[in-house]
Amino acid sequence: MEPVLEVVGLSKNYAKQAALEAVNLSISPGEIFALLGPNGAGKTTLIGAVCGLVKKTSGSIRLLGIDLEVDPISPRRDVGLVPQEINFDPFFTVRESLELQLGYFGRPADPARIDELLEALALSTKADQPTRALSGGMKRRLLIAKALVHRPRLVFLDEPTAGVDVELRRDLWSYVRKLRAGGTTVVLTTHYLEEAEELADRVGIIDKGRLLLVEEKGALMKRLGERRLEVHFRAPVATLPPAAAAGSLSADGLTFVFVERAGAPACADVLGALYAASLPVADVNMTPAKLEDVLLRVLRSGNGSA
Amino acid sequence: MNVIGTRTLLKKEVRRFLRVPGQTVLQPLISTTLYFVVFGFTLGGRQGDVNGIPYVTYIVPGLVFLGVANNAFLNSSSSFFITKIQGTIVDLLVAPLGPTELLLGFVLGAMVRGLLVGLLTWVAALVFTGPHLVHVASTVLFLALSAWVFAVLGLVAGIWAEKFEQINFFPTFLMLPLTFLGGVFYSVHALPEPFRTISLVNPVVHMVEGLRAGMLGLDEGAPLGLALLGTLALAATAVAHRMLATGYRMKS
Ligand SMILES: Nc1ncnc2c1ncn2[C@@H]1O[C@H](COP(=O)(O)OP(=O)(O)O)[C@@H](O)[C@H]1O
Ligand SMILES: [Mg+2]
Repeated sequence: MEPVLEVVGLSKNYAKQAALEAVNLSISPGEIFALLGPNGAGKTTLIGAVCGLVKKTSGSIRLLGIDLEVDPISPRRDVGLVPQEINFDPFFTVRESLELQLGYFGRPADPARIDELLEALALSTKADQPTRALSGGMKRRLLIAKALVHRPRLVFLDEPTAGVDVELRRDLWSYVRKLRAGGTTVVLTTHYLEEAEELADRVGIIDKGRLLLVEEKGALMKRLGERRLEVHFRAPVATLPPAAAAGSLSADGLTFVFVERAGAPACADVLGALYAASLPVADVNMTPAKLEDVLLRVLRSGNGSA
Repeated sequence: MNVIGTRTLLKKEVRRFLRVPGQTVLQPLISTTLYFVVFGFTLGGRQGDVNGIPYVTYIVPGLVFLGVANNAFLNSSSSFFITKIQGTIVDLLVAPLGPTELLLGFVLGAMVRGLLVGLLTWVAALVFTGPHLVHVASTVLFLALSAWVFAVLGLVAGIWAEKFEQINFFPTFLMLPLTFLGGVFYSVHALPEPFRTISLVNPVVHMVEGLRAGMLGLDEGAPLGLALLGTLALAATAVAHRMLATGYRMKS
């Protein structure tokens, strides 16, 4: 299938520094793509260049199959953006803000759609309040509603859950999954790596304006994620079976620790070997791989091979 | 062309100033009416007729113009500037609104306010002077053109300004002198040389005279005024369109 977004050799130089350096990225229809990286890495700049907020220095951007150099306007009909910075027009109510945004996108009035979004984002009771009366988290949710009101095929969420409390964050995640189920492509940046871990099909890691790697999340976790197996014994153990030799035994022989890297050998096989040798296993602890550790490892090594 | 989008932006611009009618409509109406009362009656008694028309009637077209020009300018300049400051410019930039749509939305919205204040000023003046409307078509044309020009200039100012201070720069240092030296309260043809000739390069003079020709039937050079206004309208529109197309001071 044709990618919904294709970025080739995209660079952006500000007066003092380069914010993006020759970024290549292709987003497939229907996926959830998480763009990760430290503050100032260039995530917002990349999204801004695609959404018409940032003037690129060089490179090309094809949005929904259309080169933005040729037509910077019409592909925007089917794209939505939740900007990182909260904005609101204090002159208007929540409902009016959504009506206006729908109109800007050239769509006719659609009260049912607006009600549905207000409901989904827990803003129904605030519908007729002026936007300035909303709390920070509510304003963020209004931004999300504004970005989705015209049913975009591709939506960018730049830190969409910053300042949104935990409970609502979970609701939002399930809403994002629902969007994807309906065929919407989602590109998100986030500080909460748990969020990317929950949602993303693919992950991109960016640092200092350079995209270090793009990989399917499961494969990345398998390749760079470290799972930790910890086994406690009822009585001291002196020797390990050969299949568990990759692990290490504590001095008192009561604790065994094994870290699985790149899936081989697997924790399951190591644990199986301990049981097969009839060692006196009392308790087993597994710590799953964390995207956070993967991210740190990639950032430290400065490339995707880590 | 995104027609619904343009119409939505226009509607938003009009609703925005109607939310605070005291500030956007009533206050300018009162100040222009005060000019009218002070200049028309207290000074007008001494001034006598101008070209056979009572002074108080003579200044009505100029004051209507003042209401139109100032309010059209103020609306587009402050609205666009505030849109940048509060960050809602993002909502417009991510939407499928090209430079033409943005220009039309902001400019037409500002024209509505300018023409509304102008119309109300005229109605207020009617109470004192009775109705004077000799050439309807040319009056409407001059009003619309003046509103367009000042709305576009306001938009340019709103795009250009980065600080509140700068947004007040134009009204104070450009609009105020141009309008007060623009023959709103007197006929520039009665000025001694070289002031008469100098005045003629002020576009406001021609706008006011064109409007006077339309409303009072005085012919003080409407065709020249129209040509000048038309040229100014085209040039200002081209500048504003270019700024919107390149994202000048909107995109980083
Ligand atoms: N308008 C701007 N002018 C100058 N530098 C900027 C501007 N916007 C962003 N930058 C710089 O570009 C880099 C990338 O910023 P950004 O894309 O916001 O990072 P991220 O979203 O990943 O935190 C940063 O070093 C930032 O300081
Ligand atoms: Mg950012």
